[in-house]
This record gives sequence, structure tokens and C-alpha cells, in this order.
Amino acid sequence: MPADVLPLSIKRDGDAFRIEWSDGVAASVPFLTLRNNCPCATCNDERTKPADPFRVLSAREVSAGLPVPVAMKAVGHYAYQITWNDGHDAGIFTLDALRRLGQPATPPRT
Amino acid sequence: MPPPSGPGQKFSLPGVKHLIAVASGKGGVGKSTVAANLAVALQMAGQRVGLMDADIYGPSVPLMFGLGQVDQTRTPFPIEKFGVKLMSMGFLVDPRQAVIWRGPKVAQAVGSFLAQIPWGDLDFLIIDLPPGTGDAQLTLSQQAPLTGAIIVTTPGEVSLIDARKGVKMFEEVRVPVLGVIENMSHFTSADGQKHAIFGTGGGAKLAAEAGVPFLGELPIDPRVATAGDAGEPVVRKHPESPVSAAYVELARTVVAEMTTRPQANALPTVEL
Repeated sequence: MPADVLPLSIKRDGDAFRIEWSDGVAASVPFLTLRNNCPCATCNDERTKPADPFRVLSAREVSAGLPVPVAMKAVGHYAYQITWNDGHDAGIFTLDALRRLGQPATPPRT
Repeated sequence: MPPPSGPGQKFSLPGVKHLIAVASGKGGVGKSTVAANLAVALQMAGQRVGLMDADIYGPSVPLMFGLGQVDQTRTPFPIEKFGVKLMSMGFLVDPRQAVIWRGPKVAQAVGSFLAQIPWGDLDFLIIDLPPGTGDAQLTLSQQAPLTGAIIVTTPGEVSLIDARKGVKMFEEVRVPVLGVIENMSHFTSADGQKHAIFGTGGGAKLAAEAGVPFLGELPIDPRVATAGDAGEPVVRKHPESPVSAAYVELARTVVAEMTTRPQANALPTVEL
């Protein structure tokens, strides 16, 4: 993605973010996709391991249910940090990552 | 217009118009010398200037401005010298003492220099970065509204290897690189002959590779080092020297660049 392409707006749209980019692209980034691609060191490490069938979810994880961001703040000029409803907030999603994880958006609902 | 501060930026520095980082990647290329002389040259050009030493392990701003450790309970920071507002780890720690810290503490110190020092109204706050692409650089990129960065290199390939990494880092965090300045370009001997002691053309090559402006060459002059060690940057002590002229020119370019450069837009606030 060229360095001068920036998000113009990021809005919640159901279980996804609808991102309008300055080059005219509109994309939908589902929360689940974001959470599964969390770039933090812990999540990166988890993804390299085989799935543990006996992993016990914490009470907080269970009560949180599907991942939903409770906050999403800009980091410098290049990224956003998402705080999830289960308390996880270590992931810093670069604009490139947000762009890469986007799917073609449905036309905005009027 | 003050730089816009995004919602995630911890430090908004409303009185500071332009926040410029002086970086290199490699150590020993003269970042601190360039930062100090650029700051003084900007001040001599009538700008209101601050200089923040973000090199926590090896601060050199105090020496270059003829200062040292101060009594922090009695001294209001920033300290002003030659009309430039200064802050450095070297004001807080005995120069014979080593600062033996892990990264997070460095990030914390850099953050508090920005947030807790009353910089006031400034046209330029120059930040003298440590070498590398680590904690100090990341903290600034993530939390400070940087206007841009100037990359310092020497002409040789060894310096370019690391300078490229510095350029790459600023690209990744989307901080505009204002340009590359080549330090220790050549030495002019008494017979008027130019000697390229550390090679030639590195700065221009890096600028071309990165697609950023080449800001010029700073010649080798032993007076740069002696003036720095004596606590008065060369641009002030020997304003008639060719290297001082190069610094004045650099300051002029930086000021001009600021008037033409559109302010980087802050990222939009997310609507949840």
C-alpha cells in the first residue's frame, strides 16, 4: 500500500469495522479476523504452536464471548491499538495490516 | 499551526510547532553534533528552539553546551543556553556514572522528557536520537507528534547500512524523512585540496535510494570537535567557517521545508 494512502474513517458496522481509505477503497474488517491476526508477541507465539485441545478458557474469556473491541486508539501516524472486551490490548495493528485484512465492503447502509 | 495530535498520542505539545528527530541508525556519525549545531543555527535565524537529548545511555548535549549535572531540586527544566532550551539525561546523572537500564525505562524517560518538561512555545523542538531503531525511537514514533526526521550519515558504506535501517523505520511508522545530511564529507587541507577521508557520495546515494531530499554535505573541520568539547557549538563559535555556513544553509532549508510541507494528518478517530 502506498505510504500516502490513509484511512478517512473507521466505523463499527455490525461485527466488523468499515474502513474508507483515501484512495477510494472501502473495506470491511471483521472483528474475528482482527482478533485472530493480533500482531502482539503473545498471540504471534500462540499461533505458531499446535492447538491445545485441553486449553481451559479463563472466566473472563468465557464471559466475553465473541471478540468485540471496546476501544481503538491511533498510535502515532501508522497504527491503531485495539482493546478487546476480554481485556487483551497488546496488539498494535499497522495501517498496512488493517488494509491487508479487509474484505470488499458491502455498500454503506443508508 | 501546531502539529495535530491524534487521539492515541500521549503528548500533544500544543506550543511546539515542529518536532524534528535527528537520527542515523549508526553511532558515531555526528548526530549530536548535527542536532546541536542545527538547533543553534535555527536559533540564530530567529526561531524559538528546544533541543531534547533522547540518548539516555550516552547523553552529549550537556558537554556540547558547556553544562553538566545540575541539582534537580533547584533547577527548573528545560535549561536555557545560547537561547536554546535544553533537556538531557546528562543534567540528572553524574557523567562518571553509567545509566544501566532496560528498554522500558528508557521509553519512560524519553516520554517524561516530552510530557513533563514545560517546553513552552517553540518553533522547533529538535530531538537528538540515540543510534539504532529501538525503544527511544519507537516511543517517539508512537507517542509524539513528530513532524519529520533528518537522517545523518557519513559517506562510507558502513554508515549507509545502518542509515538505511533508520530510513526504513521512519517509513514503517510513517514519519516523513525530511532528508539526508552527509557529515564528515571531506577535509580541505591547507593547500586547498579536498580529501575524502571517509569515502564519497554516501549521503546523496542514500537520499536517492530513499527518494528523499539530499540536504547537503558537512565538511570535516577539527574546530567542530574542539568547539563541541569546549561547550559552544561551532556554528556559534566560528560562524565564519565553511562548516558553519553549511549548518546555516541546513537550518534555512529546514525552515523553508516547513512552510511548504503539508502537515501530516492525524489518523481518524474510530467510531465504535
